[in-house]
Amino acid sequence: MSHHHEDEFRLHTPEFSDLNKKLDRRNFLTKTSLGLGALAVGSLIAGAKGFGGTLSKPAVEGSSDLEEEILRALPHIAPKAKRVVYLFMSGGPSQFETFDYKPKLVTMAGQNLPDSVRKGQRLTGMSANQSALPMVPSIYKFNRHGKNQTWISELLPHTAQVVDDLCIIKSIYSEAINHDPAITFFQTGNQLPGRPSIGSWISYGLGSDNQNLPTFIVLVSKNGQKDQPLYARLWGNGFLPSKHQGVQFRSGKDPVLFLNNPEGYDGKDRKEMLEYLSKLNKLQNDQFGDPEVDARIAQYEMAYHMQTSVPEVMNTADEPDEVFEMYGPDSRDSGTYAANCLLARKLLEKDVKFVQLYHQGWDQHGSLPKGIAQQCKSTDQATAALIKDLKRRGLLEDTLVIWGGEFGRTVYSQGKLSADDYGRDHHPRCFTMWMAGAGVKSGISYGETDDFSYNIVRDPVHVHDFQATMMHLMGIDHERLTYKFQGRRFRLTDVHGKVVRDILA
Amino acid sequence: MILLDIITFFGRLHPLIVHLPIGFLLLAVIFDLVSYFPKYQVLKSAVSFTLFAGFCSAVIACIFGYLLSLTGDYDTTLLRHHKNSGIGIALFSGILFLLTHPKVRLIIPVSSRIFSALSVCLLGLMSYSGHLGGNLTHGSDYLSLAELTKTKREKPVSAEQAFIFEDVVQPILEKRCSQCHQGGKLKGNLSVESLTSLKKGGKNGPAVVAGKLAESELFKRITLDPAHKEFMPSDGKTPLTKTETEIIRWWIEKAMATEGKKLAELKGNEIIKPQIASFLGLGGLVPNEKETEISQKINPAIPLTLDNNLVINLRNSGFEARVMLQKPVMLDITLPSNSGKKGSELRKLLSPLAKNIIWLNLSENGLTDNDFDFLKDCTNLEKLRVEKNPVSDAFSNYLSKMPHLEALNLNETKITESSLTQLRKLPSLKRIYTFGTSIKGPEDGVINLGSK
Repeated sequence: MSHHHEDEFRLHTPEFSDLNKKLDRRNFLTKTSLGLGALAVGSLIAGAKGFGGTLSKPAVEGSSDLEEEILRALPHIAPKAKRVVYLFMSGGPSQFETFDYKPKLVTMAGQNLPDSVRKGQRLTGMSANQSALPMVPSIYKFNRHGKNQTWISELLPHTAQVVDDLCIIKSIYSEAINHDPAITFFQTGNQLPGRPSIGSWISYGLGSDNQNLPTFIVLVSKNGQKDQPLYARLWGNGFLPSKHQGVQFRSGKDPVLFLNNPEGYDGKDRKEMLEYLSKLNKLQNDQFGDPEVDARIAQYEMAYHMQTSVPEVMNTADEPDEVFEMYGPDSRDSGTYAANCLLARKLLEKDVKFVQLYHQGWDQHGSLPKGIAQQCKSTDQATAALIKDLKRRGLLEDTLVIWGGEFGRTVYSQGKLSADDYGRDHHPRCFTMWMAGAGVKSGISYGETDDFSYNIVRDPVHVHDFQATMMHLMGIDHERLTYKFQGRRFRLTDVHGKVVRDILA
Repeated sequence: MILLDIITFFGRLHPLIVHLPIGFLLLAVIFDLVSYFPKYQVLKSAVSFTLFAGFCSAVIACIFGYLLSLTGDYDTTLLRHHKNSGIGIALFSGILFLLTHPKVRLIIPVSSRIFSALSVCLLGLMSYSGHLGGNLTHGSDYLSLAELTKTKREKPVSAEQAFIFEDVVQPILEKRCSQCHQGGKLKGNLSVESLTSLKKGGKNGPAVVAGKLAESELFKRITLDPAHKEFMPSDGKTPLTKTETEIIRWWIEKAMATEGKKLAELKGNEIIKPQIASFLGLGGLVPNEKETEISQKINPAIPLTLDNNLVINLRNSGFEARVMLQKPVMLDITLPSNSGKKGSELRKLLSPLAKNIIWLNLSENGLTDNDFDFLKDCTNLEKLRVEKNPVSDAFSNYLSKMPHLEALNLNETKITESSLTQLRKLPSLKRIYTFGTSIKGPEDGVINLGSK
């Protein structure tokens, strides 16, 4: 270690020298016995390092050059959207009771799903052995709304008010038929866990617009039915550098743990301490070149910034009552979907690039009428309020809002069909999502399903197409943002995806 | 590059190889016939060898022909006749060759005249088989009297006068599908020759069902993902353009797949008229055929390059500077709220890169009208946010030279109705946000000026 370092790390203070002088029995044994071993190990490591130094270093440098080259080219397209808020309706909301109006089903209620429609397509194990597949129309009424007279279910009265701002896509389809692969597919472009999530790709590709808050923030509402689990890997960074993983804000008082200073510490020299720690970490990193050390340094810095920025953004005292009324009564109860929508708006106002909300409980295999009414009740008002609020603040101008689940539900009833009760099984072949705001056409419906909402008859949009479109709006050509890992270049859309040009404004 | 397997490769040599036996056998017959004239008597001795060459090449042609029949979807009856007659020729020529051999002649005595009669029969068989082969590759109407007397369809003078099937749909199918689905080559047993054959369809059911897109195999196939193995046209042949697909969709769905009807006679034709006019080259909508290219409208006045130090300097002074595009350099600049910066500093930092600023956010910074002096230079601005600043009507004067300004956020400012008159004159301005101001307008304060 050079003299320069010794000065920097203050190794010559009297306290430190005193410690050094205390050569007691334990210290003596440790130093002498381990010392010999350490000598041996040291020479081994030095040898290995010398060997690795010649072989692996060019490769490492080469790959980082490639990364830099890819990142330097960004953005590829002048972006329309600066931020994204993705309202993920986990569980698979039924398209029948929300957006995909199928009046012809009323006359066919109770009839078996025709084979000519199903065409032998797979069903889940939950309903494949049912003796009959009786079709069931929505128990809820639909009404026309907005300047284009769009049909919307009576369960979504608030969303219906903002329909002129929405671009409803009725022809999304997925490949996975069960929750985890389907949601992983949506989040990472692949059904198997391990790839980076959308938000991580965006953070990696475009960086941050606010150094005081994470680029990718996740909010999971506490009032959704926890029927299907969510895992942190859904907002994980996969093989991208760790600092791009989504940061989950917990519901309740302390959205991020351990941000407060511990008792008895006033935090005055926090900055100095972190700088010192960062120097030590960098020293370590010079030796090993471990990207996780970089991530650790970045996380300490972010945590320091968040000590002030998070309490500020969480503070809703300045919000007038009118705002809480708009988002609904739940919005005063921290951690609910409504409160998260309000928080999302505040984060977007601070230019957080990617905010993702999750609301669970849309998996109505049975008692669908009751379940979906409850789900709509706890999300509809706040969702519409978010749109209205962003719009009047001028933020819908450059914010993309996305609403949708991981798949849709079947036209036939799972379990017994009675006059006022039925269930619906998973259906990945078509379902509805909507987008709103920056760069997408407003007040339109795109794509069409058949009379059974079983097959798509017009303008299908695959999950990868949706991802490609979202990235396009953010200024990224999905085919050009790649990351080399284990010898292969990966991208969010794998080797697929087409931008859905027809919905671009 | 398309890699063909060896079978396909040799199969496709059949049309080439097949001309060898044709030539040899024809020559053998000619030699035989002309040898009756004393002058050419000498050629009689060449007949045997020429027949042998014809026989050998006929066998090879048969083998290659068989390989070709494995790869293509041909009309089965035609193919069967062609195959049988082809093999017949090879056998026949072999027998004739044997008959020229003196030892065989001793066992089967055939007179010269009978031999000549037989060889003329071979010629007949060859013509028959050749005719069938031609039908298989080019279609039965390739070389016909009808073709000779056919008159070219008059090009319609307007989209309304065009016959939807005859003038529009049929030419599309002719252009994109007939190579494999017409005449002798009927892949998947589908012929696109007439409406009747389309409705009859192929082995996957009807190609066209009036009014029912989902049941129309043809429409389904042309609208699949191009990577899908059932996508048509297959094998990387040029797919239908978007306009062509839209026309076929309308014809099946709305025009109930009719024929013999002019566009003007069909209800709801306004929707498809521009596409049809464009397809017929009569003007109208110019479709974006090259859809893979990312089309961006970019203001040419934005400087292509920028000194990077200016951006770094800006960031070091507390601004967020986001690069929206590298070439030209488009910047989105945000001044974090309550920064305490005032007019002179803003001018100093922002003016050098004013032409590159496309989006600008100065909200909530306690700025007054005088602080915005520098805005005069920002002529390429598209989005401007000055909400939550105590700016008044005098502010709108700075915006008069912003031809590209699309959105202006004046929420919670002291701006009044009188500014609006001036702002409405801005050529590109589409949205003004006036929430929390004294301006009486829509409840959410979003004033939509519509597209200009």
